[in-house]
Amino acid sequence: MDYSLKICHIYPDVLNLYGDTGNILALQYRLKQRGISVSVDKLMVNDKLENTDYDIYFIGGGQDFEQDVLLKDASVNKSSAIKDAIESNKVFLAICGGYQVLGKYYKTWDNKRMDFIGALDVYTIGNKDRMIGNFMYELIDHPGNRIVGFENHSGKTYLGDSVKPLGKIIYGKGNNGEDGYEGARYKNVFATYSHGPLLPKNPYFCDLLLETALKNKYGLEFKLSELDDTFENRAHQYIESRLSK
Amino acid sequence: MRKFIAIVLSKLIHFILRLFNRGATSFPGLVALKIDKNILKKISKNTKTIIVTGTNGKTTSCRMISEILKENNVSFFENKSGANLKNGIVTEYVLNSTVFGKNKYEYALIECDEAAFKTVSTLVDPKYILVTNVFRDQLDRYGEISNILENIKIGILNSKNAIVCLNADDSITSSLKDEIDNKVFFYGINVPIYKNRVNEASDALYCIRCKHPYKYKYITYGHLGDYYCDNCGYHRITPNISVERLISSDADSSNVEIKYNDELYEVNINLPGGYNIYNALGSLAVSKVINLDINKSIIALSKFESGFGRMEKFVLDGVNVRMILIKNPAGCNQVLNFLSNLEEDSNFVILLNDKYADGTDISWIWDVDFEVLNSINSKIKNIYVSGIRKDDMALRLKYAGFNNIKVIESYEELIRESIKDKLDVYIMPTYTSMMDLRSIISKKYGYKDFWE
Repeated sequence: MDYSLKICHIYPDVLNLYGDTGNILALQYRLKQRGISVSVDKLMVNDKLENTDYDIYFIGGGQDFEQDVLLKDASVNKSSAIKDAIESNKVFLAICGGYQVLGKYYKTWDNKRMDFIGALDVYTIGNKDRMIGNFMYELIDHPGNRIVGFENHSGKTYLGDSVKPLGKIIYGKGNNGEDGYEGARYKNVFATYSHGPLLPKNPYFCDLLLETALKNKYGLEFKLSELDDTFENRAHQYIESRLSK
Repeated sequence: MRKFIAIVLSKLIHFILRLFNRGATSFPGLVALKIDKNILKKISKNTKTIIVTGTNGKTTSCRMISEILKENNVSFFENKSGANLKNGIVTEYVLNSTVFGKNKYEYALIECDEAAFKTVSTLVDPKYILVTNVFRDQLDRYGEISNILENIKIGILNSKNAIVCLNADDSITSSLKDEIDNKVFFYGINVPIYKNRVNEASDALYCIRCKHPYKYKYITYGHLGDYYCDNCGYHRITPNISVERLISSDADSSNVEIKYNDELYEVNINLPGGYNIYNALGSLAVSKVINLDINKSIIALSKFESGFGRMEKFVLDGVNVRMILIKNPAGCNQVLNFLSNLEEDSNFVILLNDKYADGTDISWIWDVDFEVLNSINSKIKNIYVSGIRKDDMALRLKYAGFNNIKVIESYEELIRESIKDKLDVYIMPTYTSMMDLRSIISKKYGYKDFWE
């Protein structure tokens, strides 16, 4: 049987600041290597998101300048479709700014509140200091598997009751630098502050997302064939050992 | 008295460090500042300072201005070795003044990092400022692109007596015109310059005034070009000095037609690539605000030789080796644009470090269109990868479709391997790996080190 997946890249125009497009490259590459075909649709500002048959949604990080353009567009063209997709268990990968904007709101350090999409029960408080640096966390649902990446955010994110964290911080700050946790998990949403970009040097995690999407679509437990991840593992290991010293 | 001690001690330290063959660019300045925190204010008073700042092109623009000043017989000093943060700049002023703090030269040509510009501008009273451009760069330091612009704006606001040269094609930096009271002189390119362009993200999709999407009559590269906003009317200002025509270009230089005061001039720029046309234009803009002779300045551009790491050429065991510094997506994409037009077989070398001066977040390499090199895949014999983050670089290249990637840890071995086929070698290092590589090249092959 020929398998295929459809990816929706949301806001590739304004949320593309930290090399996060590398995540799309990783998803495509790892599918093609297994003979699974993949297509990527770009949904930019002014494009209306229709949930036809996307299997994976990706939303990356950006800077504050374009935020109100984005929020205006989201409320008209994207928000309800995003909420529907999340509630119907579609796989969502959200990074940094994308992670924050899926949440309920953002409050600046001088108490101005901005309402966000509200698809995820989290909120973010702006902070004067930035949390910047290489970081590492262990996946809570897959103990023994670690994510390495780079965080760069001034927002501190706090999780509501219906959302679990994605990882336990081993090195770095994570969501808020206070509770020792990083990212968020809700249904099939995987949200994190990790740039790097995230997927290329975390091949285990990339395959996890792909297997989840395939299982969703075809109703079968998928175990993707092994690839030669020499380059991926070396890049991953280098950061792990640097942060473990 | 303080000033005297600060100067003497700092000159002595510099001398001693040089005896031991160390770079000595920042430490003497640090010491001077510790002894007399007003040292820079005092010793910059009787010289006219030209500051060059912006994301890409500072060093090359400075070298071009340097050549122009020499050709016009102007007395000046410059911070040669690219030490563009505060301590390095102080060192340079100290070295070029007498022990009594009097500056020996009429002009000071200072390359200044965008964030350091904020502080340095309070200490130096610049007379002329050249802003090259703003692109995404070192986001681990700046957080956002808008912070880079903010730093430059504050620097200019501190420089009430300066004439400011701005890039008319850059919607980001041109917006400074309405935020400052200084006299402004614009430079820009009046025609598109590339037939094929790399795929790159724009750093300015939305109008900086009203956030509606920009439209363009043409784009030169990145977000640079003839932009306009049809919502609020913010648009490109016609430049005072401009390129009217690209006559020809090749791997070593460009020939352009420049217009100034309704006169046309043919200019040969002795460095390749569209980005160097901007550097040349910016340098000519500075020469005009200083009132130098335009014909002599044009001659300077044709004689110009690149600065270290900027298309610098070495001949090692008979092999042509060119070094081209990379630091951020826009700059790197321009280098790749140039390389993807090469005709001869060659070996490529990429070195990726992540120290503070390189930018600690290396994810920018995924915003670079390395895939564009696939068009000359058959001409690239090997891609060698090294530096602290060599594994990440190798992974990026694997994704870009290369299967001839060789990862080498030792720089000596790297140089030996890359020249052994006797093909041309193009080396793309980040800043600190370039410094290390150059040291090794100068020790083994007798080239001058960066401070010489």
